[in-house]
Amino acid sequence: MIEVRDLHFARGSRKIFDGLDLDIHAGRVTAIMGPSGTGKTTLLKLIGGQLRPQHGSIRVDGQDVHRLGRGDLYRLRRRMGMLFQSGALLTDLSVFDNVAFPLREHTRLPERMIRDLVLMKLEAVGLRGARDLMPAELSGGMARRVALARAIALDPMMIMYDEPFTGLDPITMGTIVTLIKRLNDAIRLTSIVVSHDVRETLSIADDVYLIADGKVVERGTPEALAKTASDWANQFLQGLPDGPVPFHYPAADYREDLMNGGRDAR
Amino acid sequence: MLDSLARLGRWGLGMFERLGRGHLFLLSMLGGLHVLVMRPRLVIREVYAVGVLSLLIIVVSGGFVGMVLGLQGYNTLVGFGAEQSLGTVVSLSLLRELGPVVTALLFAGRAGSALTAEIGLMKSTEQLSGMEMMAVDPMRRVVAPRFLAGFFSMPLLAIIFSAVGVMGGYFVGVGLLGVDAGAFWSQMQDSVDFNEDVMNGVIKSLVFGFVVTWIALFEGYDATPTSEGVSRATTRTVVHSSLAVLGLDFILTGLMFNKF
Repeated sequence: MIEVRDLHFARGSRKIFDGLDLDIHAGRVTAIMGPSGTGKTTLLKLIGGQLRPQHGSIRVDGQDVHRLGRGDLYRLRRRMGMLFQSGALLTDLSVFDNVAFPLREHTRLPERMIRDLVLMKLEAVGLRGARDLMPAELSGGMARRVALARAIALDPMMIMYDEPFTGLDPITMGTIVTLIKRLNDAIRLTSIVVSHDVRETLSIADDVYLIADGKVVERGTPEALAKTASDWANQFLQGLPDGPVPFHYPAADYREDLMNGGRDAR
Repeated sequence: MLDSLARLGRWGLGMFERLGRGHLFLLSMLGGLHVLVMRPRLVIREVYAVGVLSLLIIVVSGGFVGMVLGLQGYNTLVGFGAEQSLGTVVSLSLLRELGPVVTALLFAGRAGSALTAEIGLMKSTEQLSGMEMMAVDPMRRVVAPRFLAGFFSMPLLAIIFSAVGVMGGYFVGVGLLGVDAGAFWSQMQDSVDFNEDVMNGVIKSLVFGFVVTWIALFEGYDATPTSEGVSRATTRTVVHSSLAVLGLDFILTGLMFNKF
């Protein structure tokens, strides 16, 4: 479904991806994991065509995203859903109107049919009763569920989740985990979950990519990764504070720094 | 010395880069103007937000500016025994200058800052990004309707400002200071030319509407997506658009009335 080949992307002088290769298969939940700042969200924006790589290609359903014209890219995006970490709900529209937004923008369906579709999507995420609330009245978890209902409004072929579990209480987190898995299985979606919440992500992922320093460092099923001998993967998956990713930010020798007596006047 | 030169160079490059981005933004915005024909409801909703909701400040300010003009004009004219010309002074001052300029300055403070903050916050809360991913172009759905609303609202607000200002001048001149009502209106009617005065004022406010709304929308769209970034962008909108209005007013006045 998605092929990323030799992807290079940098912001200024800071390299984010340095020859990244990965494949995402249709109908499966693929987790992309790695420490904060490794460019996981950037990868989703590259897949969605919101950013352009300096080198390399990303093919979605056979189409090279960055060679598409504006019209074709927008047509492709109608078949992609994206769940932002913040939900990205339109704050001047109610829950109902937020979910109806893509339907009203892209279809000429009569309002009665739009109403039925919106209620079906809201029912799927358990928020049919919250249809008249405004985004400011929703909790973080509810906002994410509404955003999920909106993301599936146009029945996309794939959906990208950007840190879907961050900042949620255990009950809401469990709800979101279940929803992602259930949606994926029920409507044969292809799901890409970008996250650093190890336990939740591994519980629903079919394939996992661990990325660091702009490259894929480990790949495989959750079971295979659990048995991996790689220090890096062990440190990340078990949440160890020190290892290949050092606890300390690079600095001068500790002893010398203390003995220096503030001569560098900082 | 070299450091200062390098700083100056960086500042210059940064300024030209922003100017370039601003013009690309304008082109992209103009490309979305067919929204007026395709979805006029979006424009009407924004006319309410930027135009109708600015009415109160425009009416109150117009009234006070007209009243002050009445007082000041009377004090000056009475020295020459020409207080009957108060209607002319008040109406020409309002139609040619104060109406378009003060309206544009108030518009920049009231509606311009609101537009910048709204777009900036939409950007920082990923609403614009979310729209792009839903295959909805924010330039067409969000920016272009607001631009059209600002462009159309400004001349209407300026006309209302001038009309209320004339009423304020009338209230002070005729009602409080004893200027003859017939002289007030007849002198005004005699000296105000529709094309020369009214239309030139309308043209000025169209230009100001274009520039102020463009600056406000660009600043919001280009804002750093943080609370500090949005706050800075809002300040820049008020400062830059006020300066642009005053500078453009000088140029337009020169072209319209002095023909240099």
